[in-house]
Amino acid sequence: MHLIDIYIQEVTRRLPEKNREDIELELRSTIEDMLPENYSEKEAKEALASLGNPALLASGYSDQPMQLIGPRYFDMYVTLLKMIIPMVAIITLIVVITENIITYNGEEAILGTMLSVVGHGFWGIISSSIHTFFWITLVIAILERTDASKDKSPLTPNWKEWTPDDLKNIPYIRKEKKISKADIFGSFFWIAIFVVVYFNAFRLIGVYEKVEGKLQFVIPTFNQEVLHSYWLIVLFMLLLEVAFAFYKLIAAQWTTKLAIMNTVRIVVSTIVFIIIFNNNSLINPEFYMYLEDLFHFTFELQGPVQLGVILMWVILSVIDVVQGFRKANIKR
Amino acid sequence: MSKLLSSLITELRRGTLTLAVLSQLKTPQYGYSLVQLLEKSGVSIDQSTLYPLLRRLEKQELVESSWDTTESRPRKYYVLSEYGIEILEQLTGEWEKTTRELQTLLKGDVENAPD
Repeated sequence: MHLIDIYIQEVTRRLPEKNREDIELELRSTIEDMLPENYSEKEAKEALASLGNPALLASGYSDQPMQLIGPRYFDMYVTLLKMIIPMVAIITLIVVITENIITYNGEEAILGTMLSVVGHGFWGIISSSIHTFFWITLVIAILERTDASKDKSPLTPNWKEWTPDDLKNIPYIRKEKKISKADIFGSFFWIAIFVVVYFNAFRLIGVYEKVEGKLQFVIPTFNQEVLHSYWLIVLFMLLLEVAFAFYKLIAAQWTTKLAIMNTVRIVVSTIVFIIIFNNNSLINPEFYMYLEDLFHFTFELQGPVQLGVILMWVILSVIDVVQGFRKANIKR
Repeated sequence: MSKLLSSLITELRRGTLTLAVLSQLKTPQYGYSLVQLLEKSGVSIDQSTLYPLLRRLEKQELVESSWDTTESRPRKYYVLSEYGIEILEQLTGEWEKTTRELQTLLKGDVENAPD
């Protein structure tokens, strides 16, 4: 008797309240039907064995699925995760970097600040990814349990049943045209590096000398005030770069449209670069003097070197533009 | 019997369970009497599958249930509803059609088989 009570309890505790009593009664009468009068414990065990694992029996009675996310939602779930988590990670990284730049008071050591950016960025990416994972999982798991439709076929990421028309919305991606994730990550990485360097050029780029056995920053290359006076156009250029990197992420392959956008992006950044580099007071005069002292030679940096750097930038830009169109026009 | 074979057989039978159960519910039956009826005809069914199946059929309005408390222990009886009778007829027709089709397929296989 005792074993049977426990068995029934094991089944009913897994069931919704409203069905418990009825199922308990039915189960008890069924088990008693299976047993003779004055049954032994061995006989009781045999009867219970034929009913099987109580968890399995309970899941048969229950309307709830015995999985967190079933086949109907799984594909959509994975697709959403793959799409949203990288975006959240990137946004977190951008937010952390911006935050650190804004709150920087100019007193702490630059290396320490950079390490803290890396640390906070890493931690931010992990925690925001876990958050995103949790919430997406929770939402889909609830949907799975509230979905009243009897349909078991998988859903597409736009929440509808699949039809052949869905194929029209999916670009056919050729291997040669594909934009790799590494490429996109690289774009974001360089943007981040650029931001850090631009706002910290006065204590990053320049002359380092050994003073009292320690490597110390003595003369900055750039005139920070001049460099920063261009912040508005630099910000505009950065926004364009970020937008383009996101667009690349979504487009996933080179198209003529993308190549044109790439051209616009490069033209803008080239113009910004030329404007900044053409300013004659950009380079710190002390830095010139230092070079002159070092090489015992009077540098005429302004003219030829400036021109050379700009020319090099333009050549690299042209190559980049051409590459974009070449990839976009691959046909086979 | 190999594991694969037994799992294939289980799968093959799963679809026929509903039909087997419905066919025996033209007269009212309670859980255990149904098990015995089915076993007598050689149909073995997992009891952990059968009882939930009965409740599901009730929810789908194919069978109706009632508690009989006149005997020494209360029993829940299940019997086909009108809708259930209708569905059973259609399912039976479908089953016969399927067996005919399969038989043709299987026979054809014998004829085409290499000697």
